[in-house]
Amino acid sequence: MRVPGRVFASEALLIKAKEDRATQQVANVAHLPGIVEASIAMPDIHWGYGFPIGGVAATDVSAGGVVSPGGVGFDICCGVRLLASRYTAEDFQSRRRDIMAELDARIPRGLGKGAIASGSLVTDVLTQGAAAVLASGYGWEADLERCEERGTSPGADLNAISQKALDRGGGQLGSLGAGNHFLEVQLVERIEDGVAAQAFGLAEGMVVVMIHCGSRGLGHQTCTDQLRLMGTAMARHGISVPDRQLACVPVDSAEGAEYLGAMAAAANFAWANRHVLAHEAREAFAAAFGTSPERTGMRLVFDVAHNLAKLEQHDVAGRMRELCVHRKGATRAFGPGHPDLPDDLRQVGQPVLIPGSMGTASWVLAGTGGNPAFDSAAHGAGRLMSRKKAKQIESGQQVRRELEAEGISVRPGSVKLLSEEAPYAYKDVDEVVDVCHRANLATKVARLVPLGVVKG
Amino acid sequence: MGGSFTVLSHTADTGIEVAADTLDEVFEWAAIGMFSTMYDLASLAPTAEVEVAAANTGFAELLVDVLSDLIHLSEVTDVVPCAFHIIEVTSTRARLRVGTAPLQPETLHGPPIKAVTYHQLSVEPLPDGTWTAQVVFDV
Repeated sequence: MRVPGRVFASEALLIKAKEDRATQQVANVAHLPGIVEASIAMPDIHWGYGFPIGGVAATDVSAGGVVSPGGVGFDICCGVRLLASRYTAEDFQSRRRDIMAELDARIPRGLGKGAIASGSLVTDVLTQGAAAVLASGYGWEADLERCEERGTSPGADLNAISQKALDRGGGQLGSLGAGNHFLEVQLVERIEDGVAAQAFGLAEGMVVVMIHCGSRGLGHQTCTDQLRLMGTAMARHGISVPDRQLACVPVDSAEGAEYLGAMAAAANFAWANRHVLAHEAREAFAAAFGTSPERTGMRLVFDVAHNLAKLEQHDVAGRMRELCVHRKGATRAFGPGHPDLPDDLRQVGQPVLIPGSMGTASWVLAGTGGNPAFDSAAHGAGRLMSRKKAKQIESGQQVRRELEAEGISVRPGSVKLLSEEAPYAYKDVDEVVDVCHRANLATKVARLVPLGVVKG
Repeated sequence: MGGSFTVLSHTADTGIEVAADTLDEVFEWAAIGMFSTMYDLASLAPTAEVEVAAANTGFAELLVDVLSDLIHLSEVTDVVPCAFHIIEVTSTRARLRVGTAPLQPETLHGPPIKAVTYHQLSVEPLPDGTWTAQVVFDV
């Protein structure tokens, strides 16, 4: 190990992290060349492949620091987008059936093809991200202001995207996918920080829409392609790692540049994908309420990724350095004053979006000054049990009945798979968020509770 | 001659452990195991056949390539690869014939696999001459 491991957790969360192999993976990441300060894990840490989910690793570019596709994951730029609205819980209840029917019909998800936007846009999307689909009539200009990177990752390299990746992404622009991805209608249950909430555009009793998805097959294939290449590239650079999934090359190398170019292109697909899905959510609400999308008040609160590697400036031992910050299941969390934040958020910090498990709360937090994890926070509740075990406890139908009994409408891509994503399969998101708050990773702004879920 | 697989427990993802009499069969049963985590293969009958080929160095890297190509095939052409006949596996290449059935989303019984990882990956001969493999998938 080149640096120590550092896990942000309560005692209870740490016990859970030790029960699987996540803490060993924190130790493995500490072997990456050029890693600085510590191999870090967020409170939602759990066993992944290579990196733990919830892992953060920063490498010093000028000191031979590496970039590792495994530190980003297959779902490049997977992230969360939150939309505000002008509606209250009473408004939702009055049109619940119509809203859920519109979302059910309009949001492609689960297995098989189906996408909102044309595959002909994909080439432009890879270089321009959300701006490319905006130019084709999806979403609003103001959305870009409230999106990390303004929805366009710089440095995209089209030549690093394979035909196989284009094949997979061509029919998936504007689709949720499966697994833990979702579109959820939620209610702002309570506000913990009124100043930040006002800046974010949130108020108690407001209906909001949260979207969780990523770069779909295009990103999965791009990571697959790049991992394959890095097997031989590592040998050329004399690098060995304790897990082949941690394959890496120096950021400052031809292979490193190719990966970052490929990753940026796939990230642009993800920004555009969430942008298109948000457009369709607005259309669904507008249809259900018999109004125009503009009159729904569904402004973008923020869109932030939790699977990316980014070149950022950070203070290390009193000196500013250019670091390659890997966040694998960790959310970027810039504090107040950060120059990359839009003007209207710079005073309060970046919105940090932490979805809970299906049927439980989600949270909005704000980035803080002096974040001890390279400006990173948790990305979710974190899985507690395997999918196999979750399926043994209840059937998908049972999970659906229980959620509906709690007043949460469920429109699944597959009823059979619902139990794998049941609330009991995840840790307590309130506890994860509490650790984030207490450890100064990000501070609480608003707690959201689910009204209806469209599940991938 | 033959093989089998068991599903490995993993907190977020899934994986398989394969046991087979021969190297060819360890590849065949890895493919069967991967798609069995998603579909009830016994209920599917192949209606078309394609050939999949991969070139790389080492059995483990080749297995990742083959399984990744099968995921690509399934996702892009909306089919379920459900029958596998290995033509050859050497230390540098693998070729197989793949029987496919049309995709029917209602036959899905496990989460769609996004990708094949190198985490805990192995393809190894055992002292008794049989073979074993282990693969973890991202779902």
